[in-house]
Amino acid sequence: MMKKLERFGYPLFFLVMLTLPALLDSRWLAVATTFVVFTIVALSMDIVLGKAGMFNMGQALFFGLGAYTSAILNAKFGWPLWTTLPAAILIPAFFGVILAGPIVHLRGDYLLVTSIGFNIVFIQVLQNNLGGLTGGPNGIFGIEVLNIPGFTDSPQIGAYIAAIIALVVTLLVMHNLEHSKAGRALHYLREDELAASSIGVNVRVYKIFSFALGAGIAGMAGTIFANQYSAVSPEAFDFLQSVLFFSIVIVGGSSVPGIILGVFVMFVLPEIFRDFATWRYFIFGFAMIFTMILRPRGIWPAKFGKIPKRLIKEINHGR
Amino acid sequence: MRLPPALKVLLIRDIMDIFLQQLVNGLTIGSMFALIALGYTMVYGVMKLINFAHGDLVAASAFVGLFIFAELFGSGTSIFIAIAVFLLSAVVIAAVGVLLERIAYRPLRTAPRLSAVVSALGASMVIQNGIMLIWGPQMKIFPDLIPQVYWDIGGVVISLIQVLIMVLSLALMIALYIFIEKTKIGTAIRASSIDQDAARLMGINVNNIIVTIFVIGTSLGAVGGLFIGLYYKGITFNMGWQYGLYAFVAAIIGGIGNIPGAMLGGVLLGLFNAFIAGYVSSTWSDAFTFILLIVILIVRPTGILGERVAEKV
Amino acid sequence: MAVNELILTNVTKRFGGLVAVDDLSFRVKEGQIYGIIGPNGAGKTTVFNCITGIHPCEEGSIRWRDEEIRLLPPHEVARRGIVRTFQTIRLFSQMSVAENIMSGRHIKSNQGWWHGVCHTPGSRRDEYDNWNKVDELLDFFDLSKYAVSPVGSLAYGIQRKVEMARAMATEPTLLILDEPAAGLNDKETLALLETIYRIRERGVTILLIEHDMDLVMEVTEYLTVINFGRKIAEGTPAQIQSDPAVIEAYLGSDDDDF
Repeated sequence: MMKKLERFGYPLFFLVMLTLPALLDSRWLAVATTFVVFTIVALSMDIVLGKAGMFNMGQALFFGLGAYTSAILNAKFGWPLWTTLPAAILIPAFFGVILAGPIVHLRGDYLLVTSIGFNIVFIQVLQNNLGGLTGGPNGIFGIEVLNIPGFTDSPQIGAYIAAIIALVVTLLVMHNLEHSKAGRALHYLREDELAASSIGVNVRVYKIFSFALGAGIAGMAGTIFANQYSAVSPEAFDFLQSVLFFSIVIVGGSSVPGIILGVFVMFVLPEIFRDFATWRYFIFGFAMIFTMILRPRGIWPAKFGKIPKRLIKEINHGR
Repeated sequence: MRLPPALKVLLIRDIMDIFLQQLVNGLTIGSMFALIALGYTMVYGVMKLINFAHGDLVAASAFVGLFIFAELFGSGTSIFIAIAVFLLSAVVIAAVGVLLERIAYRPLRTAPRLSAVVSALGASMVIQNGIMLIWGPQMKIFPDLIPQVYWDIGGVVISLIQVLIMVLSLALMIALYIFIEKTKIGTAIRASSIDQDAARLMGINVNNIIVTIFVIGTSLGAVGGLFIGLYYKGITFNMGWQYGLYAFVAAIIGGIGNIPGAMLGGVLLGLFNAFIAGYVSSTWSDAFTFILLIVILIVRPTGILGERVAEKV
Repeated sequence: MAVNELILTNVTKRFGGLVAVDDLSFRVKEGQIYGIIGPNGAGKTTVFNCITGIHPCEEGSIRWRDEEIRLLPPHEVARRGIVRTFQTIRLFSQMSVAENIMSGRHIKSNQGWWHGVCHTPGSRRDEYDNWNKVDELLDFFDLSKYAVSPVGSLAYGIQRKVEMARAMATEPTLLILDEPAAGLNDKETLALLETIYRIRERGVTILLIEHDMDLVMEVTEYLTVINFGRKIAEGTPAQIQSDPAVIEAYLGSDDDDF
């Protein structure tokens, strides 16, 4: 049953997602676009927290770095938005490396607090309009919209399609990661750092790698986000957002369905049930407590035992 | 640029004025941080858990204090009203703290650390939003329990509230120190901080010890919260995170798990904060505080008074 | 050409005031099966921790293949062909047996971190080859039927085999075994004996700590005996058995293996 769900899950999901623009009105399409963007950020968070097992509570920083990079290059320096994408990926990734460097060896809860610290410093930098670039508490307006061929008439649908494309790229990268030496290394160092080290894994390098990769992907999401709203402002990237992404990965589980579920509950449901919105965090808080007590690996945990199918077939057909 | 001597004296006096004023402010804020930090450090010492909900309990105490004052007294400032509000609020918050431990932390004693961290975050969200659901998202004004009396000593302004906060905090900290060092329960607490299992084997009821530290820690935090209300007047439902994080930074600076460390860390952080606000700008104080934290965690993670513990392989 | 020899000279390791390893020297020759024995708490595992870089020693020298490895971190030691198993079994318990063994292929794989983002034909080939190796090892250790099972749920004896398979996946030159027979019954211990010989046949030098004296006397060719961190005797099993210092050290403890 699970296998069937997996085989049809992805195609079904994308089928639904691609028909949404035809079905939804303007407001709901905006919600759907943000849903996709936040899913990308949550997936990027999963790389650091779910796979590498590091208590990172500052992912919104990288999300914001990407968004602001695109915003500044586009609105202040006139770069076409799509050309800002490499910078919006590489600059957060670069910061991922230099920020992670001094802190990855720290114990879990200390790492947590320093990542919060970085996030807070980032927000203050944004609010204080550093170098006249970051626009202060009001942020930056007037970001030009991406021109997706075929959708130039309806920029909103264009924004949605851009988000979908970014999501596909993210999922492909994560799929690759799971079937590579680097991806497995993250699992090893999460499970038992000492054993991983003793078997030859350079734990420090791979921890930094996971931060950088997560940062790069979050940065890409930032560009899509800036594109959608044509504006960026500090509140969208404060550490409370990081807390939410953190919770989504933990409560939803370190799997793609779990994360999608988590983002859906956290962002879409409150839009559907307006009353729910004020109670949202209150309920979610309880959900976090009880999930940890009853289902510590999350509602939809990571799939276990990733071995190439051909190997399993050979083993099952006996020796 | 050559300054006339009179001007030079004035400049030095200005710097001194700022210094002394910020010293007063810093010690006041630092005392509050210290009281709140003690809650974090006591819980962390025994349970190795950052009680993220602690900051929100502190915020809650300000609201509870406001509620108690409004319901029971309505108006007036007398020493008895003030004491009553403080005591009742502390009791309520301590009760919530015990409940918190029972629901969110006790079931996860044997679970991996991450689970307890997430549960603590969840509890924080519950309490914070609980405050919002009850009292609304707007800022509320804390009642004038203490008369607004000021003194001007040579250019430095100091208020009765500030004096009260510093004196009371000091008294409470001394009392706590004596309790921890000299009483049997205090020793049991220290033992449980060092090695919970060994303490259990020595016949210490660790569950009761944990309840005790929650009661003490949250009560001190509650007093801190009431001081915040008195000092800043305006209280919001989400101020718990702000002060909570600062207090936690203070606890780490002093050495997490170390009670005198929390006191020292609180005062130092308060002074640091005040001087940044005075000499640089308050819009950067968050940033500076966290950069300080990051530097300390990288350079001396055990804090000023903390100790290194080796891990057996 | 560097010889595959491990030479410890005057190695001392302190934990605060406690001297865990005291001026220890010994030499493991290529292809040997070398044993370190001693009463409980004598410092044997600490010696292994020093060699593998987990707890670097303060004084002395550890030379492997003519290179000083004393200050190298664990992953660098592993890259140079020295791999160990743990007394308490440290497997990746949430992962399958096959994935655990695959972790041993980490240092043998030539993928870079960028292949985690995007594969190339070369990296795909690397994946294919490494999983094949895992298959071979599953065969060698008779673990095929457990390949997909979560390691944490398996019997102790099987877990020990998985740990050894993982170590062998790195194609080590020196294999360090920390109490490989602990917790095994007689039948399993016999199988372990066989496995150790088969491994040595592949050209691997073996250094082991063991308490099971029957196993030690049978399988090792040369021994160093440690007590309170110091060497009290060294020699062949036959020599050690009749050494009075050794007998005294063991008679003084509660060890009933002897």
